[in-house]
Amino acid sequence: MPKRLYVDVHVLQTVPPSNINRDDNGTPKHALYGGVRRSRVSSQAWKRATRLAFTDSVAKQDLATRTKRISALLAKTLADKTGLDEQQAARLSTALLAPLGIKSGKKADDTAYLLFFGRKQLDAIAALVARQATDLAALSDAELKKHCDRLPIIDTLNTGHPVDVALFGRMVADIKGLNVDAAVQVAHALSTHGVETEFDYYTAVDDENVEDSGAGMIGTIEFNSATLYRYATVSVHQLSENLADSEATADAVRTFIDTFVRCMPGGYGNSFAPRTLPHLVLVALREDQPVNLVSAYEKAVRGGASGIADESAARLAAEFKGVIETWGTAPAAHFATYYPGEGDEAKTLVDAFGRPVTLPQLLDGTHKKVAAWLAIGANA
Amino acid sequence: MTGSDEAVLALRLAAPLQSWGGEGRFNRRDTRPQPTKSGVTGLLAAAAGRAREQDITDLLAMRLAVRADQPGTLLRDYHTVSDYRDVPLLSTKVNAKGQQQPAGKSTHVTERFYLQDAVFVAAITGPLETIDMLAQALKNPAFPLALGRRSCPPSGRLLLDTYRGMTVDQVLDTIPWQAAEHTKLRRLRQDGMSATATVSLPITVEDPAGTDQLTDVPSSFSLRARVFAARRVRHGWANPPAQWPRTGDADAPGSGTAAIHDPFALLDR
Repeated sequence: MPKRLYVDVHVLQTVPPSNINRDDNGTPKHALYGGVRRSRVSSQAWKRATRLAFTDSVAKQDLATRTKRISALLAKTLADKTGLDEQQAARLSTALLAPLGIKSGKKADDTAYLLFFGRKQLDAIAALVARQATDLAALSDAELKKHCDRLPIIDTLNTGHPVDVALFGRMVADIKGLNVDAAVQVAHALSTHGVETEFDYYTAVDDENVEDSGAGMIGTIEFNSATLYRYATVSVHQLSENLADSEATADAVRTFIDTFVRCMPGGYGNSFAPRTLPHLVLVALREDQPVNLVSAYEKAVRGGASGIADESAARLAAEFKGVIETWGTAPAAHFATYYPGEGDEAKTLVDAFGRPVTLPQLLDGTHKKVAAWLAIGANA
Repeated sequence: MTGSDEAVLALRLAAPLQSWGGEGRFNRRDTRPQPTKSGVTGLLAAAAGRAREQDITDLLAMRLAVRADQPGTLLRDYHTVSDYRDVPLLSTKVNAKGQQQPAGKSTHVTERFYLQDAVFVAAITGPLETIDMLAQALKNPAFPLALGRRSCPPSGRLLLDTYRGMTVDQVLDTIPWQAAEHTKLRRLRQDGMSATATVSLPITVEDPAGTDQLTDVPSSFSLRARVFAARRVRHGWANPPAQWPRTGDADAPGSGTAAIHDPFALLDR
């Protein structure tokens, strides 16, 4: 049974003249790779853009549904860890969670983000009541309610995390139980070709000012344009640990890929209108290790007759095939969305990636494979 | 000297950006010029699936040697930290109830340093079973691997080979020069196109009798109890096979002297 599943997301995206990510001097970020200066968008910038878009896409649920889901998971953990039977565990779990609903001070039909507990947190909660579990199960409803109100466990139960924390992680040095290991790794986006910074000299003129001729303000902003190679990997086994819920895990992977592919950092958005969509998205589900294909661009792409975007896609196809042939490990499944062209170039892409599918089909395919993998894990 | 039951694990640490932290803390996170024991041990522990609080003494008992095939250059990344929900950041102080207080500002400004376009070879010497276990783990890592920082996944080949019955110096003399073609071409031009079979590369080897000291041995990877100890190292040179790239093949047909003076070398982007 495969214990690990990595979902690698490779994106080739062209941004027009723009400055979506800059340093404290206003210069677009850059890096040297293969001896050639490249345009760069920092991993933290694109992660933030993804996180903002992700949080908007995730469905909100009402309080009653929230507590019901956590309750079922907690009941199962209690049954496993404390030796109570299912009914007793369910009753205890409901009683433990009841103060959560009251203390939050919200009405039952208020909607909010669904909170999850990772495996580690559920085990910690179960461990806290382990010794008293049989005693608590023997109490009557009223006594149980009174007892649970006084338990220090309430603060622990309030540390559930929303889905984006399960993906992107949370590091809190001082407080136990709040740490969540990130399930996503996002690399810095690099241009596949050499890029130099360009300068836009601008003037701002006050048309109402008829006495003085000349500009009210002059300045320079820097920009460049690039075809970026972006890479991210989701470790599904880690995400499943963080959410303890197979359905939520598969949904989170799907939503992450969707938002990562579509979003863009907002630097100088109004001045340059740089929002574009990628021209190639490749999702590879690997059971051995994540594989970053940026080495395809160590020798910078020159462009020339076929243009940078097409040549970048061809290089990616060659690297993808090369990795499989040389190291003998292929992804368990892969899906690719790209514009089908004509001629020989299209043939190399189809040969390496298979026929292109639409993005919704790519997302559906990935979702099904991830759900199937999680189902095997649950039963084995 | 490696004992009869010891082996050497060779890794190629290469990526567009990598960062091996040293003394930097809080808002200035620097990088050392070469991979640190803490960073490499973290990489191996991640591959082996060790969680943060788990014991790593068996990994720390191994000895690390680093060869700088392509030293890279320093990159400063301006990195701001804020809560994406536009709420003020939380302070690391906790009050009596164990809750964090708001820090009073919404954005931290930090600078983080990276080594860009660098390639290193790391040779780790340890007991044969541990080395074999790690070689297997690197092909099937439990956590995604990264070179110092999570945003720096390795590119290209990471695991080179395992060597038995050789000292670490012999291993570093055997593994060919892993630098990229542009670095080798530049070196070739600097040396006046007279290519020798081997190239001299600086190495830093962990050695109890060494004359220098590096403070990069972690006590554990727990978030709270991180203390660094020192290890003794010696600096030296390795002379591995250079494996020069062929010059002038594709560019100037039938002109052997074209490689010596290439007027378009400066435009070679």
